Amino acid sequence: MSETPLYRINNLKYRYENGRFLLHIPEFAIARGASIGIVGPNGGGKTTLLKILALLEDPDEGTVYFDGTKVDRTNDAMKRSVTMLLQEAYLLKRTVFENVAYGLKVRNEKQGLTEKVHRTLHMVGLPPDEFAQRRWHQLSGGEAQRVALASRLIINPRVLIMDEPTASVDQRSAVLIKDAVNTMREQFNTTLIVASHDLIWLNTVASQVFRVYEGRITGLASDNVIDGPWNPESDGLWKKVLPDGQVMFSATPPGDSAAKALLNPSDIVLAKAQPDGRDGLSARNIIRGTVTLLSEENHSKKVLATIDLGGLSVISRITRRAAESLHILPGTPIFVIFKASSLRWE
Amino acid sequence: MEYIFEGIVRAIELLLTGNEETYSAVFVTLKASTMSMIGSLALGIPCGFLLGYFDFPGKKQVRALVDTLLALPTVVVGLFVYAFVSYRGPLGEMQLLFTIPGIALAQTILVLPIVISLTATAVESLDKRLRSTLMALGARGKQIAIASILEARYAVMIAAVTAYGRAVSEVGISMMIGGNIKWHTRTITTAIALETGKGEFSMGIALGIVLLTLAFTVNALLTILKKRST
Repeated sequence: MSETPLYRINNLKYRYENGRFLLHIPEFAIARGASIGIVGPNGGGKTTLLKILALLEDPDEGTVYFDGTKVDRTNDAMKRSVTMLLQEAYLLKRTVFENVAYGLKVRNEKQGLTEKVHRTLHMVGLPPDEFAQRRWHQLSGGEAQRVALASRLIINPRVLIMDEPTASVDQRSAVLIKDAVNTMREQFNTTLIVASHDLIWLNTVASQVFRVYEGRITGLASDNVIDGPWNPESDGLWKKVLPDGQVMFSATPPGDSAAKALLNPSDIVLAKAQPDGRDGLSARNIIRGTVTLLSEENHSKKVLATIDLGGLSVISRITRRAAESLHILPGTPIFVIFKASSLRWE
Repeated sequence: MEYIFEGIVRAIELLLTGNEETYSAVFVTLKASTMSMIGSLALGIPCGFLLGYFDFPGKKQVRALVDTLLALPTVVVGLFVYAFVSYRGPLGEMQLLFTIPGIALAQTILVLPIVISLTATAVESLDKRLRSTLMALGARGKQIAIASILEARYAVMIAAVTAYGRAVSEVGISMMIGGNIKWHTRTITTAIALETGKGEFSMGIALGIVLLTLAFTVNALLTILKKRST
């Protein structure tokens, strides 16, 4: 028998005041100990979804199950299993020590408090001797965010939810937040749900990244999304003209000409030289581009190569060995190859 | 002009030599205003929190009433309290008329709207993220209320200091409820009014100096608290 997921969502709906749907998620589940990333444009419903999962908001319709039980926001034990770090974290107008200790104090867990606070401050890269007695206004944006994270980590939650934790912090803080979260997950198998615009950072903490678009979970965010328009060709294919004039073909017809096509990064093959003609090559799409970014995907340990195709960015997932043998670096000209049948429709 | 300078010199002499009559008025003023502060803060802070934190039917009307009462004339409060605590009034048996607790009771009524209104404003001005943060950290019911008041502490202290300034400087209530009885209920303000009427400027000026010092102290506290609250 399969294990009950930690979260299960059934036909969740959340409306704006004007009655329009902000969120509509027919079915979604999150396993225990999972690390889930969420990406998507602003206003797409990410924060609302996170607040519902953090038991800070109720949906207008539908049901959320936590640990097999219907969510009940009056259930203190259930609520205290989950914590959320807001996008712009709020610090209480107290010292750093008092901020970090607050969660344990309201739980009346005061034994070994100083030691726990100091240990957690170390975890987020803030030496207690230097920071514990600082007041809330004596911190930089990155330090404040790490204090806010420490105040969540110290309560050892079953679920840690973070909304854009690196949106307004320096690079060092982003690395320290990643390290602290990963350490916490390794030690306590904490379930992690993070929304971020920074896909590279997100890939270092999340094993699966979903895209939330216009209130719906539209699939894995690792998929490339290619906007229309798509126009029919005489040979039955559908064509999109890229900004630099190159073309891309789809074998299956879109729902409408403006439909968005999805392309799995693993379906993209890279070549340094242009293949000679199409003889002996089953792929219909051979598009010239330039490598703009290389990053490592945390869970797969593969390389994600971001490639600019004359104005359209796509990501290709390749092995480390392939990246090394191709000698690709940002700025390297490259050919992107994939089948017309690899394109799916959203 | 000479009598004014003479009055100032004599006033300093009265203060430095510890004139009993002068210090009696100062003591009565401080005692009455301190008692009224304890009463008004004990009632006003919880009421202000409820008014600022929760939404309920009629909230706007309650808020409008409280804000209107900010401009409550001292003599009107004096009149109502007199009617209640006079020997024929419903609280006559408590024998509060012409006593310091009587003055304190009326001053409490006078400054209560200030404490309620400014506390409500302070709570309403709290950062919208505070509640979500406290809930996310595991705080519940009473813990959220206490933490919210603590977050608004500087603004609540401003409410207290403002209320104290109003209580210590009023004259109508002290005159009507206290009766301006020498050694018993004579406050700084009633003493100044009386001594000036008698042409005794020196004691009036001496008490005026004390009142001004109190006003400066209150104002300095307000300035410090306002700086801290931002």
